[in-house]
Amino acid sequence: MSMNKKIWMLGVVVLILLIFSPFWGTIRLNWQTIFANDSNSFIFWHLRVPRVLLGFVAGSILALSGLICQNLFKNNLATPDILGISSGAAAGAVISIKFKMHFSFFGMGSIYIFSYLGALLAVLFVFFIARMIKNSSLYTLLMSGVAISLFFSSIIVFFQYIFDFSDTFSLVRWLMGGISVAGYKEVIILSVLLLLFLLAIFLFRREFLLISAGDDFAQSKGLNISNFRILSFLGLAIVVGAVVSTCGPIGFVALIVPHLSRLLGSSQYSKTVLFSIFLGGGLLVLADLVARILIAPVDIPVGIVTSLLGAPFFLFLLFAQLKKTN
Amino acid sequence: MPLNWLVFFKLGKQLKIRDIVIKAANLSYFIGKKPILQDIDFSIQKNDFVLIFGQNGAGKSSLLKVLAGIVSAQKGFVSIAGRNIHDYSRKELATMLAYLPQSDEFVLPIMVKDVLLSGRYPYGALFQKFSHRDHALFQEAVEYFSLADLVYRNILTLSGGERQKVILATAFIQDVPIILFDEPMNFLDPGSIFQMIKMLQGLQRLGKTIVLVSHLIEYFFPYATKLLALKNGKKYYFGEKKFCPELFKAIYQVDYKRVFTENREIIFVNE
Repeated sequence: MSMNKKIWMLGVVVLILLIFSPFWGTIRLNWQTIFANDSNSFIFWHLRVPRVLLGFVAGSILALSGLICQNLFKNNLATPDILGISSGAAAGAVISIKFKMHFSFFGMGSIYIFSYLGALLAVLFVFFIARMIKNSSLYTLLMSGVAISLFFSSIIVFFQYIFDFSDTFSLVRWLMGGISVAGYKEVIILSVLLLLFLLAIFLFRREFLLISAGDDFAQSKGLNISNFRILSFLGLAIVVGAVVSTCGPIGFVALIVPHLSRLLGSSQYSKTVLFSIFLGGGLLVLADLVARILIAPVDIPVGIVTSLLGAPFFLFLLFAQLKKTN
Repeated sequence: MPLNWLVFFKLGKQLKIRDIVIKAANLSYFIGKKPILQDIDFSIQKNDFVLIFGQNGAGKSSLLKVLAGIVSAQKGFVSIAGRNIHDYSRKELATMLAYLPQSDEFVLPIMVKDVLLSGRYPYGALFQKFSHRDHALFQEAVEYFSLADLVYRNILTLSGGERQKVILATAFIQDVPIILFDEPMNFLDPGSIFQMIKMLQGLQRLGKTIVLVSHLIEYFFPYATKLLALKNGKKYYFGEKKFCPELFKAIYQVDYKRVFTENREIIFVNE
């Protein structure tokens, strides 16, 4: 099957998924009810549709951020969640919720802003550690990512423990990752970010390719890698911060999807990007559908579903990589 | 113009002194406090084929990285075509020299075509599409290095020899006067090694200057025009190629012998 045909097929499958998944859930909806003016049509248009759309957009952004992160670190296992960027964003959001800060800045709520700041802080940490340990190899960066991620996780637990328990349940629920509380505002914000992100990925395609070929190689072909890295990480912090502040830390999408996309796209950059968009979005919408109907009427947080799927896959990847290096 | 300058100028014309393309002066390079290179100086002229050799850890790869501007020496300076290497921007430098690192740096799947076209990166403005010249040079390289079967493959699936060929081809596409190549023959079979040597020789005939780091002095000795021997981070010998058993003995602690066949000078280990 030709590459373009594969992309078209995947696109059609994802489109069908997008059209039909709003009908499934605790309450099964059908064609007639969604145009009637009753509670069912409200559920469809104001709960399910934005939820599905948000799932698609957030999944795409996560997958693309994973892809870019892997290129920057030249490692299949380097993703925003593993480097601690996601947990930094989550810690920022938790602090904002716990201190009950309610303000907005250019239309962005406090949770958004604190998530960005958390993600930026995590990126700065990764950078600072990489600078301190000169000649930093991939492993030092990955290990520092693990440390940063643990650090932010303990900050989250700390604030949960010392403050009153009044909103602990909603917080825990949020930390499990979910896209159930979405409205159209979030969908629009994230869609704009996704488009900007895609534009950057397209405009800097030569740079992202070069940097994935190795530092020395990229430098000798004329790329200023340190400047480009700083720029890319700032961009990554913005998109990851936005997704995490909206949906909570949803794990493993950023890890699995780029890997599959590389396989499907036969290592062609533009094709890999397209596969990441469709697979990332489709996977999160599907996971959310499973979360809604698996033990209905209980609505499982989608983060649990992706982690259940993702953890074994991560191990599989790890073993495959070990096998290759031995 | 003072007299001595005039004399120098005339002498230069008479002797046909070729342009100096790489000049290293009092280079010292440290990693932490450990000295890697100490007080190294030499000048490489246009169209030279320089073979850098020395024991493991003698500082060969570090020297090449300093010459390529990947790392900078703490003392001394490097000038490329008469201009200090630090006065070049990254892109400008990439139009002067190609540095080809050891090929095992590739860890992510990338299509060979994209790897090759990355050689045109220094010539494009930000966000620019590839020009006709970019594609023309790409086509030329594919023919010159016979890469037609590899173009649409993933670089990770190539054999070592194929990969090195692709890497050398990026330097061709980069269209630079100077090529710095680090250990190009590691783990290659003899057939691939000679293919690489022929290609390097071809590039030299096109007027390029080649600086090569390799242990395989037996293979490269016939083709080199200059030798640079490093020992414990210091320059042990730099100059025109000559067969000097004492030099090789001092570096590798083995005896080398030489024979002439078909107008070629061949050296080998005689232990």
